[in-house]
Amino acid sequence: MNFDTTLFLQALLHRAPGHIAEHLQLVLIPLTLAVLIAMPAGILLTRPAYRRQAERVMSVFNAGQTIPPLAVIALFFPFMGLGYGPAVLALTIYALLPIARNTVAAIASVPEEVKEAARGMGMTPGEIFFRVELPLSIPTIMTGIKTAAVLTVSTAVLAALVGGKGMGAIIFAGIHFFRFELVLAGTLYIGIMAISLERGLALLERKLTPPHLKSARRRGTI
Amino acid sequence: MIQLEQVSKTFRGSRQPAVDRITLRVKQGDICVLVGPSGCGKTTLLRMINRLVEPDDGMITVDGRSIAQMDPPTLRRTIGYVIQQVGLLPHRTIAQNIALVPELLKWPREKTARRVAALLEMMDLDPGEVGHKYPHQLSGGQAQRVGVARALAADPPIMLMDEPFAAVDPIVRVRLQDQLLRLQQTMQKTICFVTHDINEAIKLGDHLVVLKAGRMVQSGTPLDILTQPENDFVLRLLGDDRGVKILDQTRAETLMDPFADAAAQAAANGHRVQAIDPVKIALERMMLMNTDEITVCEGARPVGLLRWNAIKAHVHRISGGAS
Repeated sequence: MNFDTTLFLQALLHRAPGHIAEHLQLVLIPLTLAVLIAMPAGILLTRPAYRRQAERVMSVFNAGQTIPPLAVIALFFPFMGLGYGPAVLALTIYALLPIARNTVAAIASVPEEVKEAARGMGMTPGEIFFRVELPLSIPTIMTGIKTAAVLTVSTAVLAALVGGKGMGAIIFAGIHFFRFELVLAGTLYIGIMAISLERGLALLERKLTPPHLKSARRRGTI
Repeated sequence: MIQLEQVSKTFRGSRQPAVDRITLRVKQGDICVLVGPSGCGKTTLLRMINRLVEPDDGMITVDGRSIAQMDPPTLRRTIGYVIQQVGLLPHRTIAQNIALVPELLKWPREKTARRVAALLEMMDLDPGEVGHKYPHQLSGGQAQRVGVARALAADPPIMLMDEPFAAVDPIVRVRLQDQLLRLQQTMQKTICFVTHDINEAIKLGDHLVVLKAGRMVQSGTPLDILTQPENDFVLRLLGDDRGVKILDQTRAETLMDPFADAAAQAAANGHRVQAIDPVKIALERMMLMNTDEITVCEGARPVGLLRWNAIKAHVHRISGGAS
């Protein structure tokens, strides 16, 4: 197989960029939905009233992770058909687990004696949550969101298979016609999107992380 | 004043009550020490006073008001609480940690800042240096001093302390104990203090409550308990050096022979202790000087003579000559 540089550059500079916006939509909408569902669910699962259900609900989220996204689309095909909607649904389900799992783990790992002292000082449950548990949990929750984001960028390629568009359109076209140049151009953009999204979220994480953890991290890396 | 009336608590899944019909009164300005082996219910009892644990039965009142009628967070903001693991909020600076309760009480910012600085000074911590640090940058002893400062922040009349000095090394522990006693002389807080260390209990307590398996075994002043232990359990808890402990709790003046007249007073020898010094100190000096008697003074004035024989006889009499 010979490498056609002209075709590669044409794909890289003209065909692929048109799919960036589509692809980002396929990432950001499911990711936002997943955060909006999984974070409150994770928080709820650490409240005393629901703590017992945590195991069971987490196994449901786990199951969501094991079903291949294409199977989700096939499952919902009778109700939703093909296209953009089912793709978003499948990607949302796929992104739930890392966020929910990290939210539960983060809040559960807030030291017991810190919560005990906060309660003993006279903080209400709401104050303990917003002033103690949540700030201490931000770094781990953000790690979950970053994982989900990178996962969704790559999984969203599959959306093209069901007519959901995105960068997958180029990649699968390349696979069909044995044009390696197209696959490479599409994949390059996937990589760039994954890295920049991860970096962007890392910046946000840094902003939200409580200062004592920042200084600890700095010391750790030097 | 804190009053507990026939208070009981059985935890779910346990057949034996953790706290079994305890009646107790902690006087204003006293340090009341709850002492006993682990699992005796002392911590549970303490945590019922700020409603971290709800009693099944009985009544607890603070200054005559039943705490069951109060909103728990509001109640807790009026009671200082210190725990063994300290539990400082790791994401807040030391100053912010101490400011926690004043903040919850919505104090003006300036008043809070002044109070925080004053408390750090009081605990022998430099406000300029320590105030901006985070808890993980402190030593264990420093962290616990901050824990005490945080509990004192809103000047609560009552303090609950749950083995606050158990996790620090022995040298620091003695320093923290001395500091607490020094502060208490001016603060006059009503303090409930939990410990399993009988030496700490005797040193700090105005009043001791000995607990075993949820029941109160004995209560009284340290000297009461040392001189009249209720049973073998208390005797064992007091340890092998009960006589020495008694001498530490007995003032020199109680065992001395008072001088009958000015002539005897004038003949007093050179070695002296103060009347309010513990006999243990007098004994230490007698041993150092290799003498059998020492002059007891009130200020500069000799008032009596303390003899080795009197000390010996006293310990012998109290321990019943038995054992």
